[in-house]
Amino acid sequence: MARSLRAHLLRLLLPPIAALLAVGAVVAYYPSMEPATEAYDQALVDIGIALGAHVRVSETEGSAGYRFELPTAVEQVLRTDRYDTIYYRVLSPGGRDIAGESDLPPPGGTGPGPYDATFKGQKVHVVSVSSPCGPATCTVLVAETTVKRSRLMREIMLSSLLPQMLLAVATLVIVWFGVKRGLGPLESLSEEIKGRSPRDLRPIDAGAAPEETRPLLAALNGLLEQVAEASRNQQRFLANAAHQLRTPLAGLQAHTELALAQPLSEAVRAQLDHVHQATIRTARLANQLLALARAEPGARGDPAHVNLRSVVEAEADAWVHQALARDVDLGFELEGAPVEGDAFLLREALANLVHNAIEYSSRGGRVTVRTGARNGHAFAEVEDDGPGIPLTERNRVLERFYRMPGTTGTGSGLGLAIVREIAAGHGAGIELGEGPGAKGCRVAITFPRA
Amino acid sequence: MRLLIVEDDAPLASGLRRILEAEGHAVDVTGRGEDAVSAAASERFDLVILDIGLPQMDGFEVLRRFRAAASSRSAPMQVLVLTARDAVEDRVHGLDLGADDYMVKPFAMPELTARVRALLRRSQAHGGPRIVHGPLALDTVARRAFLRNEPLELAAREWAVLEVLLAKVEKIVSKEAIIQAVAGWGDDLSPNAIEVYVSRLRSKLEPAGIRIRTVRGFGYMLEEFKE
Repeated sequence: MARSLRAHLLRLLLPPIAALLAVGAVVAYYPSMEPATEAYDQALVDIGIALGAHVRVSETEGSAGYRFELPTAVEQVLRTDRYDTIYYRVLSPGGRDIAGESDLPPPGGTGPGPYDATFKGQKVHVVSVSSPCGPATCTVLVAETTVKRSRLMREIMLSSLLPQMLLAVATLVIVWFGVKRGLGPLESLSEEIKGRSPRDLRPIDAGAAPEETRPLLAALNGLLEQVAEASRNQQRFLANAAHQLRTPLAGLQAHTELALAQPLSEAVRAQLDHVHQATIRTARLANQLLALARAEPGARGDPAHVNLRSVVEAEADAWVHQALARDVDLGFELEGAPVEGDAFLLREALANLVHNAIEYSSRGGRVTVRTGARNGHAFAEVEDDGPGIPLTERNRVLERFYRMPGTTGTGSGLGLAIVREIAAGHGAGIELGEGPGAKGCRVAITFPRA
Repeated sequence: MRLLIVEDDAPLASGLRRILEAEGHAVDVTGRGEDAVSAAASERFDLVILDIGLPQMDGFEVLRRFRAAASSRSAPMQVLVLTARDAVEDRVHGLDLGADDYMVKPFAMPELTARVRALLRRSQAHGGPRIVHGPLALDTVARRAFLRNEPLELAAREWAVLEVLLAKVEKIVSKEAIIQAVAGWGDDLSPNAIEVYVSRLRSKLEPAGIRIRTVRGFGYMLEEFKE
């Protein structure tokens, strides 16, 4: 997967989730912030009122004189706070300082509400309280550093953000695993396709597949159907080609043999003999080319259970007669060898091995066909006591049309290439070795474990 | 013997006809399945050589009709199927439908004539109580054997093994097939026992030129008798 659907989905989801998180934080923060700070403000106002009660008015010389009498114990109680430092400033109705910090900034033109200011290099929050002193009104400013408020702000921020962050993380995790789970059917589908034999062109069952994958499946099944149709056409063509080629060859062979049975001059007999040999070679070549074409992936039949032993037993009669015609002793050592494959092609592969062994054996030679299983692997092998294949030639003899230098037989050089092709089509390996006593040739086809 | 060749390829049909006539048979030829069916219905043939790839009615259908009509016939008509197709199913299909033998084109004429001889011999063996193989004659009713017209002593199991081999002259017969055919008396027979019977048969028959060939690791084959 070059572009992960999951990563793509997460990329799409992340920005909106982050934005929602931010908006959610703001929306949750302000409404909860206000009542909390109001309580702190009220506490400051209470302090202001309590302080205002300690302003004393003395009526002397027509003008009012103001005094502030605050016992130290009371001041301590009032100014005590666990986190913040509290400052105050008491102003007379005329705006003169009566007590407290005279450089505490007065309210600006912002109105009667609490305000923020800087005092002694610290951020402070200030409330202004009007307190009756005599007939007039004094002003008490109470300021407080913002440790508590900042703490509260942080706490509110955290308590509102945390659940939202958890929600966001949960969403991402759910998407991550949800996509994996959601794509599960797709994964099992791809497992099914992966596990298929290349020859299995049946349509994929759409029954269990999710709705969204139906178009993909339909397209895939369409393609499979086309390939299957092409394969059927090829098989039909091969069957027809086989018929069209073999029937005239059979006629040619029949008439050549008839002619040879008549009294003929030496020269004509020699020529007819060549025609006869050429006919037989052509027939064999036609068979081999057809077999090679049949071994192509598209032309193979459906794989079935095939026992190599039964394949050999069914052909034994024909092979024995071939061997007898060349005075070769063809023997068998057959044990059960079950494989999955195309019975026709397997028979063709074995027939080519047997034909080669008989062809390259000398008169009185010994050829043995063996089937069975070794370490759980079914195998078939043919062994002869002929001239054998030198080590240096062993790779080349498997190539199409390659014939070993000095070969005398009438072969086309296709036999082993066909065997190799058919073996490869069945996932089987070919091993070329020597016969018993390091003499002759042994070709083994070993199949994958069933 | 009366033979019918059903083959639409004229050169091949005429070649087959001449070869089989040279063997001393009376041979008719047709290229159409329909004609073959009607010919077999009105006349008696000992053997039909039938091509599967016929135009219109194919060889399988001809074979099916032969066999459908065969139940009323007294002596079985042997059918040798020819095919140019190489599908294994064709062969199984043909044998299922009752073909007696099967050859893939192209084929060597000696092989064809050998198979024709074997089939005709089999049909005679089916037909009568007497099986003849060169100088050997078996009277299956009296269960007496003669070699060069002299009575030949055969133990019951030797007789049974010989019968199996005689039914398939020039065909290899596996030891298992012989055991199955012979062990009808409810006792176990080992492959070794079969070897013993064959060896006894050999010592009795070989002096008269009748040869039983051993196919190593497989079984035996009674060779065609040659003068």
